[in-house]
Amino acid sequence: MKVKENISLRENVEAWSYLAPATIILLIFWFMPVVVSLAMSFGNITALKPIDEMEFVGLSQYTSALTDRNFQKTLWNTVNYVVYSVPPTLILALGIAMLLNTKIRNRGAFRTIFFLPYITTWVAIAIVFRYLFHREFGLGNWLLGIISVDLLGMSSAWRLEWLQEPRGIWEMMLFGPLGVSIADMPFGVDNIVRGPSLALTSIVMTSVWRDTGYFMVIFLAGLQNIDKTLYEAASIDGANAIDQFKAITFPLLSPVSFFLLIISMIGAFKVFVPQFMMTPTGGPDNSTMPLVMYLYQEGFSGEWRLSFAAAVAYILTMIILLLTLAQNRLFGRKVEYGQ
Amino acid sequence: MNPIDLLATADGGLTLFRLVLRLGFALFLIVHLAGLGLILVQTFSPVGERRTKLGIITRKIGRFFIYECLVIGSIVMTVPFYWMVVTSFKDAETASSADPIWTPTRIQATVLPGEGLDMIPVHILGVSQSEVAGEEIATVVPMENFRFRRITEGGARITRQVPDPPESVMRVPANAVERNPVISFAMDNYLNAWYRPEESSRGQVNFFTYFFVSTLTSVLATTGTLMTSALAAFAFARLRFWGKNFFFYVILATMMVPGQVLLIPNFLILSNMGMLDTYGALIVPWLASVFTIFLMRQFFMTIPEDLWDAARIDGASRFRYLWQIVVPLSRPVFITAGIFDFLNNWNSLLWPLIVTSSPNRRTLMVGLQNLNDDAGAEFHILMAASCFAILPIVILFFFLQRFFIEGIARTGLK
Repeated sequence: MKVKENISLRENVEAWSYLAPATIILLIFWFMPVVVSLAMSFGNITALKPIDEMEFVGLSQYTSALTDRNFQKTLWNTVNYVVYSVPPTLILALGIAMLLNTKIRNRGAFRTIFFLPYITTWVAIAIVFRYLFHREFGLGNWLLGIISVDLLGMSSAWRLEWLQEPRGIWEMMLFGPLGVSIADMPFGVDNIVRGPSLALTSIVMTSVWRDTGYFMVIFLAGLQNIDKTLYEAASIDGANAIDQFKAITFPLLSPVSFFLLIISMIGAFKVFVPQFMMTPTGGPDNSTMPLVMYLYQEGFSGEWRLSFAAAVAYILTMIILLLTLAQNRLFGRKVEYGQ
Repeated sequence: MNPIDLLATADGGLTLFRLVLRLGFALFLIVHLAGLGLILVQTFSPVGERRTKLGIITRKIGRFFIYECLVIGSIVMTVPFYWMVVTSFKDAETASSADPIWTPTRIQATVLPGEGLDMIPVHILGVSQSEVAGEEIATVVPMENFRFRRITEGGARITRQVPDPPESVMRVPANAVERNPVISFAMDNYLNAWYRPEESSRGQVNFFTYFFVSTLTSVLATTGTLMTSALAAFAFARLRFWGKNFFFYVILATMMVPGQVLLIPNFLILSNMGMLDTYGALIVPWLASVFTIFLMRQFFMTIPEDLWDAARIDGASRFRYLWQIVVPLSRPVFITAGIFDFLNNWNSLLWPLIVTSSPNRRTLMVGLQNLNDDAGAEFHILMAASCFAILPIVILFFFLQRFFIEGIARTGLK
């Protein structure tokens, strides 16, 4: 036990008067809701059943969520969104950061251009990309037309339905052309084989386009923190470029990379705006709807199943908590004192 | 003749285009495969042994490839913005052309000489069959008489483009109207988008309302957050009190809780307080931020304690020390945190969607989302709205670029 510090009452009162404004707000709108939400998720509140008539129903909201086909579908969509958007974003961001970290002119201008998508709001970006992915007059299908007809000399242009396409991308790009049809497999393995729907993939591409610049800025700062003399020493020792990356860049950058991996995964699990703006109904065959949109739809429209939505929110919290714990357990110390 | 056809390239040009495209692509492939081969060889050779002639050439090729990648990347990043701006100046016809038109082109109608409107640009209000069989009559209004005016429609005062004065509407034979593509930077899409929203019990709602609500709530919430966070962060950084460490850990722990968990209870809390659909609902819950407290505390800890001793000798109170010494010294962290808080408030969609319902409490993002539902495939209108919606933030970014980028780099690394 630490020796108890001798703090006078006056000092305490003074300190708490500084803390009071923030504490009151946090207490009402952050700490209390966390508890209230947990309590609600064990009850059965809907629009017809206000909070003072709540009955305790145990874990039944959780079990009904986890066994609900729509919930499973949205959870699967969210996982797909995370898996297909996070790694490409980070790899592209690292690649661009490494290119920008060489001796080049106009580094600042390039950095600004790559960063620009991130500062423009998701809502506007989603509208623009809804246009680019439009089946009749989007630039996406125009580009496919150029590639198929003008470049490869095909007689009819490739056209995709983009945001209206429910089929999985591997099914369309790989197994369809090969003539392999995918049968239903146990445990939904066929969903993994089929891949995310093209509609969801279009949204993933939009989000990669938007977020790359953000992570690039952080990677670039990390790269510029690495001592240049390490590279000089390595080159004197006869290292090649691959050795340098494996022995210097990667180890020194990995705490940052891991931190970014976790925060971008957490962010991707909470995705809402792009799906809501680009496919307001949840996409073809409900194949784009993420967890948060499902929560919004169940909790704030129709029957207003607030308790059910609270349970969904807590399942999301559990996922995020696990990711945060993984970060702390595996790399917590390195990240915190890495500098 | 369909005016879009006028813009399309003739067939002969298209084959030349194809030839150039295919040759160019072949050349591109050859050059890049050769270059990549050389680079691959060099990648596996020791860095120190690159002074050979081939090594120097390879390095030059490598530098060229770096620029090439960056330029292609920059094009990918900027084309959507360019497309957004260009489309915002088009009309419905040119915006929905299958072959992209890369300039702000719109179809301008003019009346052939002899109808009293010699070659004056007109807007076509409609085309109808005349009493004389087989003849089509176009109802037109000269562009300069097609103005934005406040009119009463369905009991609401709204602003629309109407013929002004009404006598300026003319009827001419449809075949006397000539339609040509012209490059134009006319602002009507912007005004049409701006005045599009209409439904409200308390007068007209337009994007001015949305901008007002967004600016008011974001500025107040950000200012409030900066003040409450500075006070709390100062207590955590420099004051002594019981339970300091415990409370700090509690605050850090709440950073892990996703905001979505708070939606439902906060909605119920606000509805019990009777605050739903007020400005308060958009401001009060966001008057404190755990992240900002954390960011400021880290910065305050770096300010030397000696300054407090000096200030105390000069007779300053704690509060005066915070206000007159700590805050001015912490300008960078205030700007960084201010930018983050402001953007969070400005860009949020889900929360205002849930707690507000009347049109004159809509934030810019909700307004834009509404327009997206309403305008559907009228992309010229939507692009104009997107343009003016992102403009304030883009301007802010160019003024405060250093703080944006340094702030993100710093918070990412810490």
